[in-house]
Amino acid sequence: MRSTQYIWLGLTVLIGILWVFIIQNWIFLNLFSALLGQNLNVFLPQISSPSFTILWISCTIALLFWIFTTLNGKPRNAAEVKSMQPRWWISTILLVLLGWLSQLFFTVLIWQIQSASPVEGSGVNYYPLPAGGWLLVMVFVVLNVLLLFWLPTLLASPRTYRFVVPGAVRLLGGR
Amino acid sequence: MSLFAIGVGGSGAKCLEALCHLHACGLLQNGSDQPPRLGTFLVEPDQQSTLRARAQTAMDRYDKMRSLLGNKAEHFARGELRNYGTWSPLSNASGAISLDQVFPKAVLRTQASGLAALFDCLFPPEEQSAELDVGFRGRPPIGSAVMSRISLASEAQTGQWQQMLSDIQAAAGAGDTPIIHLFGSVFGGTGASGVPTLGQMLKTWLAELGLTRVRVNASLLLPYFDFEGQGQEGTGVHAEARNFQLNTDAALQYLRSSGTSCFDHVYLIGSDIKARYGFSIGGRSQSNAAHLVELLAGLGLRHSLQPASQPGYAYVLSRATANQISWNDIPDHEIVGEGLSRGARFAVAWLNNFSLELDAAQKLSMGSFLSGAPWARQFFQPSGKATGTQGGRPSIRSTEELNLKSAIDAYVETLLQWLNQFSSNTGSGFNQELFTQSLLQRNPNYDNALDRVVKGSARPTREERQDMVEDIKVQMDKLTPEDIPHNGVAGLADTLWTLSF
Repeated sequence: MRSTQYIWLGLTVLIGILWVFIIQNWIFLNLFSALLGQNLNVFLPQISSPSFTILWISCTIALLFWIFTTLNGKPRNAAEVKSMQPRWWISTILLVLLGWLSQLFFTVLIWQIQSASPVEGSGVNYYPLPAGGWLLVMVFVVLNVLLLFWLPTLLASPRTYRFVVPGAVRLLGGR
Repeated sequence: MSLFAIGVGGSGAKCLEALCHLHACGLLQNGSDQPPRLGTFLVEPDQQSTLRARAQTAMDRYDKMRSLLGNKAEHFARGELRNYGTWSPLSNASGAISLDQVFPKAVLRTQASGLAALFDCLFPPEEQSAELDVGFRGRPPIGSAVMSRISLASEAQTGQWQQMLSDIQAAAGAGDTPIIHLFGSVFGGTGASGVPTLGQMLKTWLAELGLTRVRVNASLLLPYFDFEGQGQEGTGVHAEARNFQLNTDAALQYLRSSGTSCFDHVYLIGSDIKARYGFSIGGRSQSNAAHLVELLAGLGLRHSLQPASQPGYAYVLSRATANQISWNDIPDHEIVGEGLSRGARFAVAWLNNFSLELDAAQKLSMGSFLSGAPWARQFFQPSGKATGTQGGRPSIRSTEELNLKSAIDAYVETLLQWLNQFSSNTGSGFNQELFTQSLLQRNPNYDNALDRVVKGSARPTREERQDMVEDIKVQMDKLTPEDIPHNGVAGLADTLWTLSF
């Protein structure tokens, strides 16, 4: 792995942490509060934060697994390198699905399992997220996966796997 | 510097084959940056000889590869090679193919009856009438009689010798110190008769022209193989292994008494453990595999390039272990080992990986190929356009590039075959610790591991896991444009050559 790739890996991981734990919350609070229901003091600490933390942990594990696999791979030819592309896509799709499932879990399922209501006096045992809010968090899950998995794998895939991540040839393929 | 190698007979041809590969591996350098020019010339009455054809193929393929490479390589295949062709000592005998046609007895009886009687005394009837289109049938007296009729002065005016002899004259006239090196066996027919005769003729010719700076050396092969089986009753006069020692004794006696009039230095190379070849009278059926002794004979020419600080006329070699040869037994083994190791590793990596990658790239878009082969963008247009260039990089599909790739494939296959043959053809109970023979062959499996190609001290000191073709690809990808002076297939081959060791 090149030294610049280590730097990119460190930087993207750092940016990911800042994004998940600070910037994203700030955006929800200041730009999209109208879409996220009346109780942001409940949504942010009890729904958004744990669900996106789980997504962050999943993306980090997937990223480490990807780096470990590609760092130790000894592909014989371009075709073997490219055989990692379907694995990358499967990982990405699973992460997005996991992210959406996580949103569903913390917004609805966990309250129903506990038979509790996140918003006192609302009379429903789930967080009443408007349709626009659901769309927003789903888009943000995709954005998170791009930032937490695609970007670091794009910039830090080692050895002959350097261009295997979608978009790498177009973005990094010049000489 | 100009070198002129003359291979006489089948073993001589095999030595030229070895020499061609040594030249390709950059092992005929004499310390200067400029690689020497190697001229090769074959003396072989057997026009159907497989050994001659094999040497010719190696030289032709190297020459074609070099001409397509042009100046587009800094390290790979730098040595220039000129093949002057093959000459038969029977070619000027008005179509004669037997001794009694070369020396017609009727004419001898008329003009000098004593000579006719001497002719009958020296050559039994079956030798007089034996057809020599398959060579001198392991009989040095037949060869000597034919060879002694050659006049080098008249050959220098016309025919196939003309170009080489005039190049020798031109090189000597330009202040160069050309070396003429003859190769041949002393235990067969053609080499045993041809090498000393031609050596003496060349020395005389050079002395007559006052070209005293030109050195004439020879690598003489002592017995190193036996035949499995022998000729049948109808085979006629043929080489017999039981005569090898007798022929050798006679040749060495001649060298002791008259050797200095033939050669400035002599390298005597043989083996007490004999390789076994199927019996052949000559021609197409004589397809003896390459042997380590021929490599050592070629290294004789390399030795003669060293400054003439070591006095001595005859050079001999020995090995440390009775039933084994290792790199430490090879003369100048650190440099020779590195050169051959680089050649073998390059050949395996090129033929069994990079060449296959380039073939696979023809069926994909360049973008798709690059996603699995980032190294390729260093040498070929990332856009993959068939015409035009981008940053000087040609298209991976360009006809010119594909022609060069085919030429490299062809030569490298020859190199690999030669390495494979001399690695496997060692003789009974004799072991070589130089190469892993099983890895020295073409296969479609995209070989990745290079660590076992070379054995012993000539193996690069890298960890097994880091000695792979993929590691070379990673290194290629990391190079800056300044590190890659040439693009395309030539640049790829040149870079691979540099990174192969």
